[in-house]
Amino acid sequence: MSSPETEPTEASPVEAPPVALYVHVPFCVSQCPYCDFVVVAGREARGPTNRIDAFTAALETELRLRADALDARWGMPGSRPALASVYFGGGTPSLLPVATVAGLIDLIRDRFGLAGGAEVTLEANPGPDERGDPAALRDAGVTRLSIGAQSFDPDELRALGRRHTRADIAATVTGARSAGIPSVSLDLLYDIPGSSLRTWSRTVDAALRLEPDHLSLYALTLDDPDAEGLTGPTGDHLPLRPGARRWREKARSGQDDDRAAAMYEIADRRLAAAGYEWYEISNWARPGHQSRHNLAYWRRLPYEAVGPGAHAFDGATRRWNAARLDTYLAALTPTERASPNPPPGGSERIDSGTAIAERAMLSLRTAEGLALAPAALARLATRLAAPVAAGLLDEAPNGRLTLTLRGRMLSNEVFARLV
Amino acid sequence: MAERIPQERLRNFSIIAHIDHGKSTLADRLLELTHAIDPRQMTSQVLDSMDLEREKGITIKARAVRLEHTAHDGLTYGLNLIDTPGHVDFSYEVSHSLQACEGAILVVDAAQGVEAQTLANVHLALREGLTIIPVLNKIDLPSAEPELVMDELETALAIPREEVLLLSAKEGTGVPELLEAIVDRVPPPKGDPGAPLRALVFDSHYDPYKGVVVYVRLEEGTLHAHDLIRLMASGAEAELLELGVFRPQLVPVPLLRAGEVGYVATGLKNVREAQVGDTVTSVARPATQPLPGYQVAKSLVFAGIYPISGEDYPLLRDAIEKLHLNDASFTYEPESSIALGFGFRCGFLGLLHMEIVQERLEREFSLELIASAPSVDYEVLLTNARGTIHVDNPSKLPPVSDIEEIREPWVRLSVVTPAAYIGALMELSTNRRGTFVDLEYLDPTRVLMRFELPLAELIVDYYDQLKTRTAGYASMDYEEIGYRPANLVRLDVLVAGEPVDALSIIVHRENAAALGRTLVARLRQLIPRQLFEVPIQAAVGANVIARETVRALRKNVLAKCYGGDITRKRKLLEKQREGKRRMKRVGSVEIPQEAFLAMLRTDES
Ligand SMILES: Nc1nc2c(ncn2[C@@H]2O[C@H](COP(=O)(O)OP(=O)(O)OP(=O)(O)O)[C@@H](O)[C@H]2O)c(=O)[nH]1
Ligand code: SF4
Ligand SMILES: [Mg+2]
Repeated sequence: MSSPETEPTEASPVEAPPVALYVHVPFCVSQCPYCDFVVVAGREARGPTNRIDAFTAALETELRLRADALDARWGMPGSRPALASVYFGGGTPSLLPVATVAGLIDLIRDRFGLAGGAEVTLEANPGPDERGDPAALRDAGVTRLSIGAQSFDPDELRALGRRHTRADIAATVTGARSAGIPSVSLDLLYDIPGSSLRTWSRTVDAALRLEPDHLSLYALTLDDPDAEGLTGPTGDHLPLRPGARRWREKARSGQDDDRAAAMYEIADRRLAAAGYEWYEISNWARPGHQSRHNLAYWRRLPYEAVGPGAHAFDGATRRWNAARLDTYLAALTPTERASPNPPPGGSERIDSGTAIAERAMLSLRTAEGLALAPAALARLATRLAAPVAAGLLDEAPNGRLTLTLRGRMLSNEVFARLV
Repeated sequence: MAERIPQERLRNFSIIAHIDHGKSTLADRLLELTHAIDPRQMTSQVLDSMDLEREKGITIKARAVRLEHTAHDGLTYGLNLIDTPGHVDFSYEVSHSLQACEGAILVVDAAQGVEAQTLANVHLALREGLTIIPVLNKIDLPSAEPELVMDELETALAIPREEVLLLSAKEGTGVPELLEAIVDRVPPPKGDPGAPLRALVFDSHYDPYKGVVVYVRLEEGTLHAHDLIRLMASGAEAELLELGVFRPQLVPVPLLRAGEVGYVATGLKNVREAQVGDTVTSVARPATQPLPGYQVAKSLVFAGIYPISGEDYPLLRDAIEKLHLNDASFTYEPESSIALGFGFRCGFLGLLHMEIVQERLEREFSLELIASAPSVDYEVLLTNARGTIHVDNPSKLPPVSDIEEIREPWVRLSVVTPAAYIGALMELSTNRRGTFVDLEYLDPTRVLMRFELPLAELIVDYYDQLKTRTAGYASMDYEEIGYRPANLVRLDVLVAGEPVDALSIIVHRENAAALGRTLVARLRQLIPRQLFEVPIQAAVGANVIARETVRALRKNVLAKCYGGDITRKRKLLEKQREGKRRMKRVGSVEIPQEAFLAMLRTDES
């Protein structure tokens, strides 16, 4: 139904039960100035006034409400497909008590169904007080740990406002390995202000030395969600703090597109040599370790989502929860007078034109690429002429289009001609 | 009008002066004294009714008003007043107005004295053989120096001081005396009311209900409210919808006779059928000869006018045609440009005129426009005795090998200035390839200087420089004095080898290299990086004189795109797509329109 083999121009929105579930855990020890995720930090995350328990209760309530709706719409678990993946993202989900994680996974298994061999990812930060207990996580059902390493350069880590060290990253990876977590991934950032091709090469090498199963390399991106109008009462982003905005403005002047492109190419070469296959613009994996959960997004498979700011998709409609924790808790916490409600948010119905555009942009992000029927290819020929001539796109004999190495860094130039 | 006023009691006059000397304010007082306007509706400079006139505080269009005045002799006189603009660009309006008059009130600011346009306008009035009534205005000002200014009038214009009236248009003192002087000194019009009708169209406007409304001065004959008329040049015929006079609003009358000024609603829908300068006659008893009409106002400054968004081109075409009816002094013809799309090459009387036409088009027709850099009209002598051609668009200049010689228009510049700035003005003119001609003292502290200068140098920023270097005291006027050969070349700007037509300019050879460097450096900043490297060059013919490179784009990527990002990321891409659609293409290079606008808006060197 949604495999990239389908002819995109025939993509008409088809509603289907979710095959994946995203759980957003907004707590972080401190808030990084470049971060665009829905995050609450400081007193709400730690210490006597933390909201973790209240949040856990609300999250469980939302899971139940969403499961009720799925039951009504698609039938009970068992009669509808079980989840192939669950992803605890954040924020820093590794801040949750392990018992809480275990309880959530149990609840999910019970109400949504977990397929045999399902991928259950949890994001962790490497700091000693935030990385969690890997063995307990494995016992709770976590199969994949995604570690926010960001850099191995102490100066860069400091510039980013991160509190962990190189040793913390190594400890987190070895801990996960010895606990028997089957798949370990590292996130790295490039184009960090003050970085250089040298520091980047060292970071990549240091990461490879830890032999992770998977690597995500992200260009540091300093957008302003306020400017994009996403931060209203039902918006899926939180307003940028003035300090963060100032930090970004300054940091931007330390970035350099040419350097970033060179960094990407260096990494791609080293990763390939070390046996990692490129499979999405920012992702590489050893064979068998691609993130199934993330592939579901790029393949436009339906997914459920819970937690503040989380987005769900049922094949035809994107639905999101508002980003604010207080309104999230208010809606989901029962009172004497009111029973819990789904949190505020919004939704957007995807028409078939938009679906085609989304499919093009999502599938071209991946190594699978975009498969087009000859007629569709002919229709797009003029729009694709410039990117093909500029060496951004390869066209396989069967009409499948994929981004070249240069094209990945310039993928917006391709997408903007297709959407 | 209660009774018909006989021809010998008609007085037609214009008010002329240097800019801001108080013509429109004086017109206000004359309107008040003759009760032409309800005091409750009175505003200052009431005849400056256009928004632009009110904002800029200047008169742009001449306005006629019919007044009635009972003089000391107890008789009622019909006065036709025409308020004229003072700025040099609009002197054609002054000369049209003067052609419809027997007299002119020359207003001189008693504090400022004789200025460049004072001299120019008096010469126009004398050429028409008009009776001039000189008045010194603003005598209420403490800085007024009437004696000194009367000296100037005597020296510069041979106007005897006994003829000069002193008044304050602001306070109204001396204005009743001026009314009597108009009655006494201005001769009545002469034309025979019994002759076949000949009426000169001196202005017009378009009314959605009444069609083209022409403003006429009847030289001979009589026009009745339901006559069938013919426009002699266009041949168009029309049954009159309405006949009337300006008081100052349009008021219908049953008939107009020789010597009178009024309007005729023709009902014609095609604006080309009733142009300024045409002669109206009657179908029943047509005149044999049309009136001489007007000399076509000669455009001095040319520029392309383009709609910012290409879809507005048809609207622009319509707007230009309609505006032209109200301002026949600009010329237009369609042109197209790679950078700017479809638009019109327009000719203007000067830079202020250009600015005003553009602003009127934008406001009165709700358009957003961009003008290319102003150019003058060049005369190009072709090789092999193929004659000369005129080029007012630098991109149309033939290849160097076809050019024997390029000639550019020169002007004679008259500058009135305090004597202290003589040196500064000498320097300014030499810097602009000009030559000094002569100098004349108007009074012990003020002089009239004459220069000759290429017009192209004048239209860059000469006027601003003149004002800056003389603390605002100098005034200037100029007239064309023909073409002279010059060492000129066309400077092209090439993007990836393709010339960008809108950016070509004709410059003196010696300035080409420096200008070329600035242009390419500026354009490099404005062109976004492309998928490939883009050379930007300035060239004279095949000679590249400056070069910069826009390096190829290497990164434009959304690093993260997961479940929560898809809508947002798609919208970012759609925005990029819209940006691309709005881009102009030069060869395969995509250039945002803003880049051209930025280049053109700061196109002063
Ligand atoms: N003090 C004083 N100011 C005056 C007098 N007459 C006009 N002004 C001022 O002079 C300025 C110019 O007056 P206008 O009547 O607009 O001058 P104009 O000659 O019609 O100007 P253009 O149409 O632009 O050539 C205005 O600010 C008037 O208020 C006067 O008698 N005394
Ligand atoms: S730790 Fe990660 S989620 Fe938390 S604030 Fe920093 S970047 Fe954002
Ligand atoms: Mg005026």
